[in-house]
Amino acid sequence: MPSDTPVGTEKKFIVRLVGLKPGASRETLVQALQRLLKGKSAEEIGKALERLPLVLSRSVSEDKARQLKLFLESQGAILKITYSASAVMVPPKEKRGQEIAPARERPKEAERPPDRVDRRAKPRIHAGIQVQPMGVGEILDRSFRLLRQYFWLFFVIIFIPQAVFFVVNFGLQFLISGDVTQDFSSSMGAGFGVSAFLAVLIFLVLQFWAQGALIHAVSETYLGHSTSIKGSYGAMRSRLGRLIGTMILWSILVFGVPALFGIIAAVAVPSLAVMGLGGLLTGIIAVVAVILAIWIFTTLFLNWLVADKVVVLEESGWMKALRRSKELMKGRTEPGFWKSIKMKASLIILVGFLIGIGIHLLFQLPGVVLGIVFPEGLVVTTVQGVLNMVAVSLATAYTAIAMILFYYDIRVRKEGFDLKMMAEKL
Amino acid sequence: METAKDRLTIQTPEQVGFDYALAGLGSRTAAFLVDTVIRWFLVLAILAVVGLVYKFLPALDLSAWVKDLSKTWLIALAVLAYGLVDLGYFLLFEALWSGQTPGKRRQRLRVIRMNGQPIGWLESSIRNILRAVDLVGGFYPVGIVVVFLSRNNQRIGDYAAGTVVIVERQRSVPEDRKEVHAPQALTHPEIEWYVARLKPAQYQVLRSFLERRGQMEQGHRHELARLLSHQLSKQMFRSTRVSISYESFIEEIVALYEKRRRAI
Repeated sequence: MPSDTPVGTEKKFIVRLVGLKPGASRETLVQALQRLLKGKSAEEIGKALERLPLVLSRSVSEDKARQLKLFLESQGAILKITYSASAVMVPPKEKRGQEIAPARERPKEAERPPDRVDRRAKPRIHAGIQVQPMGVGEILDRSFRLLRQYFWLFFVIIFIPQAVFFVVNFGLQFLISGDVTQDFSSSMGAGFGVSAFLAVLIFLVLQFWAQGALIHAVSETYLGHSTSIKGSYGAMRSRLGRLIGTMILWSILVFGVPALFGIIAAVAVPSLAVMGLGGLLTGIIAVVAVILAIWIFTTLFLNWLVADKVVVLEESGWMKALRRSKELMKGRTEPGFWKSIKMKASLIILVGFLIGIGIHLLFQLPGVVLGIVFPEGLVVTTVQGVLNMVAVSLATAYTAIAMILFYYDIRVRKEGFDLKMMAEKL
Repeated sequence: METAKDRLTIQTPEQVGFDYALAGLGSRTAAFLVDTVIRWFLVLAILAVVGLVYKFLPALDLSAWVKDLSKTWLIALAVLAYGLVDLGYFLLFEALWSGQTPGKRRQRLRVIRMNGQPIGWLESSIRNILRAVDLVGGFYPVGIVVVFLSRNNQRIGDYAAGTVVIVERQRSVPEDRKEVHAPQALTHPEIEWYVARLKPAQYQVLRSFLERRGQMEQGHRHELARLLSHQLSKQMFRSTRVSISYESFIEEIVALYEKRRRAI
């Protein structure tokens, strides 16, 4: 029986660790690898696991490769085993015909790479990670799971701007009035105005930076990669200007347009009344104007809801990001009124809002009790401020994670984002 | 890397394991939201019925009796009535509907015992009476923290009753599943060649594309079909000039593959 294996040469294999199975324990795998990779510390192996693929061996026998596969897969690893090219000798000429025949004539269409490389399909999904269409419940639950699993990563990212603002605000109040328990309004002055403006400016820049860093961190962890607080903030450096610009444009349009409409209505409605229009009719027009202003705000808000994700993850900005967001939020991907994209987004925001209220209650009640029991002072104000920051950070993080997963869900449904990733590995 | 840890595995004495996906805070809040809306309507309906009875049945005039009651008693009665609707709604539905309320049913959630058995009146009563502790101050501040810290996403009521909320598996087959039919005659003879070499993982990707293409935007749908066909021919080292559309090409491969699998 002919064989491709040259006489006297054993087939050799390369064993690579390419990922972890969902649910696999990282610690267990590190311990298992420590038994195999003698002389490597747990820390070194842990770091290597963050930079997968990890080559475990470049030249092992078939039996050894099988043993490795059985053992490591039982510990939650995903392995890729390939022939070691250097170890396989070129078979004799007469045997070459038995190899897989290469393409005789490649069709022109097949040869040609896709017309346009989809830049938006860039984030790569880690092996073993399931990215698939999800319902609202699944999005909310997965957000909860992500928040719990990467609690400190997400929490600290959001907490940093809050903490900086708190410290700056605290310091300014102390410098200006000499008493942190006094409000700014009680010690007005030119110095205060400039300082307050600077504090708000610093806060806004940091807030947008944190927003971008959180999007980056959630995206990385959701797609199966690892990241850190420093890494997430660092990844946003090149995109920060674009993100701030787009979000300022977003704010002007989302809040400015309805406000403008409201001002026009506020001027027009009394004028109509003066011109002799009946009270009832004027009232109806006023109500319609209010409803219209709310409708304009809601429509613009929902249309451009994922603009920040587009800026960070697709690297586009300004009007292009707003257009892309509108394109993603348009239409429906499933039948049913409650399953339209905008309705799903509203439900996620509503649930996030309710959970946010619960979190605020939990963290602010002790502050209120503290304020009642003890006289107002530095300690009470500080504790109340810190509790408030924790509440804001937690509530913001949960809803933000849910919205990022929602953005991916739209792309999975409308663009087959996951299928594109899989097709490339087909 | 995110891991799917939110699972509960119940081992039977016969060493058969049942794996359940645990419901998280989000889907439970969404279910609670639906139940809250229904309870509001229920309270409104009760008020409307009381109003109608009061108006149309003068014989049942309770005004004299109400006047005799002190203000404290009236408040107590109102709280009791609301409590009965509030508590009774969850208690009755969960006990009678095997751990489901309308909101939970909509979200495909179910309360079960920790050993996998359906809950009864006792479990339903305990977990719903203790809802008041989770709810203290409104909006479940205690419940949120306890669920967040719990390994099985349990709130205090769940701990006391020995229950857990799970997500039910979707039993329905995707609608598009029936759409792909084996063609009467193959439009291209090389399709058989492809099908013979198609791996299960490749088939799954093609099948997913056919099931979900209806949701996709036209441009992306066409691009994906082309990418899949391109990758398939590249992987199989095959020179195939497809005279039909990419989607039809994929459809024929999937249909023939399924036909052969059925035959086996």
